[in-house]
Amino acid sequence: MTENPLAHEQADALRQAMMLATPGLSRFDPLPRLISHDDFSTGYCGWSQLVGNYENTLDTMLPGYAQHSSPMLSTLGHWDAGSHGAMSGSYALKIATRPKRGAQNVVIKRLTFRKPVPIRFEAYVTYKPEATELKLGDQDLRSFGFLFDLQHGDTHPDPERVMPHFRFLNAHGGERRECWQFKNGRTEFVEIGNESKTRSHYHLADEGWLPLPGGNQRLCYNEIATKVNWTYLCFDFDLSTMQPLKFQCNDRVFDMTEVDSIRMPAMHNLWNMLNFAFFVETDTDKRAFLYVDSVCISGGL
Amino acid sequence: MLPESHTAVIARNETWRGQSASEGYEAGWAREAVFFVRALKPSIGPVCPAEVEISPDGIHWIAEGTSFDLPRRQGDIAVARISHFGNWLRVRADMVEGAEATVLITLHLKA
Repeated sequence: MTENPLAHEQADALRQAMMLATPGLSRFDPLPRLISHDDFSTGYCGWSQLVGNYENTLDTMLPGYAQHSSPMLSTLGHWDAGSHGAMSGSYALKIATRPKRGAQNVVIKRLTFRKPVPIRFEAYVTYKPEATELKLGDQDLRSFGFLFDLQHGDTHPDPERVMPHFRFLNAHGGERRECWQFKNGRTEFVEIGNESKTRSHYHLADEGWLPLPGGNQRLCYNEIATKVNWTYLCFDFDLSTMQPLKFQCNDRVFDMTEVDSIRMPAMHNLWNMLNFAFFVETDTDKRAFLYVDSVCISGGL
Repeated sequence: MLPESHTAVIARNETWRGQSASEGYEAGWAREAVFFVRALKPSIGPVCPAEVEISPDGIHWIAEGTSFDLPRRQGDIAVARISHFGNWLRVRADMVEGAEATVLITLHLKA
């Protein structure tokens, strides 16, 4: 078949024009293949709580996972101003921690990939502490972020499980931090139960985070705990090289040259895994919330 | 489009003693809700009543009017059916001294 550059250009222009004319999609910059486009005014869209591994009894679940709970569909209802609503439509996905310093919660969407291509993960999110006090509360939330959980296909010659992690460290121990961090290296696995069949690792522990080069950023928190503004996130990752390509938050694009991921040998039951997760963590004995308006996951053809 | 339906795990393997409550859950999109409470372990002490609570903001809570006994034997379940709850829902129990229950609480919602 003969390559026709003009036909490719026209097809790309048509695709771009259709994208820009589609409400809900025009706010994203997706790669050609839309893998999923989730607007939480239409439901949960396959985002569920990250449940920990266990064997024979739930008592074997690591404490980090035991604290996780189900996400909600929320209109961002506040005691002083009523429902804030989402960026579009009424509902956003809400991830809530428990009211205990250091508590975390995680939501996850679980897919597999059919082609090791570059992928793009875009989302509009906002974060707030629970408005239990008539105070600004801008240092009550410790962090929010996202991670991928990936594994090569089963014919890869040197298969790995690869987990890029990024968090916006808002505050820690009552101190304002306002910087992006990432994780690399390995995490420790522990045996779950006594049959040597199940293992677990809590990769979101507060330890092991590294500063993202040039990653200081001040986000729009607004002036009280019940006013929210939506923030754009975009992360590009190449499934063929298992390397990050680009991370963007609003108008800032961060260099990925020195960034790597948590890596470990492939596991026997996770081939082609393509998981995406959001998480949030509180820095005080007050619930912290991460709201997600919409997510667009796309990839190369 | 089929009506939205969702199962949320509100409390998993939580051991309740003294004044206990599940985390609140927002379900303003749902017209009906069913709580199931399953005993994951045999309860300790006397039978304890639990009640459903609703809230205007997820911070201040008030009894919805539905109450039930927490299940006693491992594997037993209790149920509560709710409608007209606004947005916020949770289950609360004031366990008497020495009483203990390890529960799995699920919330089943339908638009």
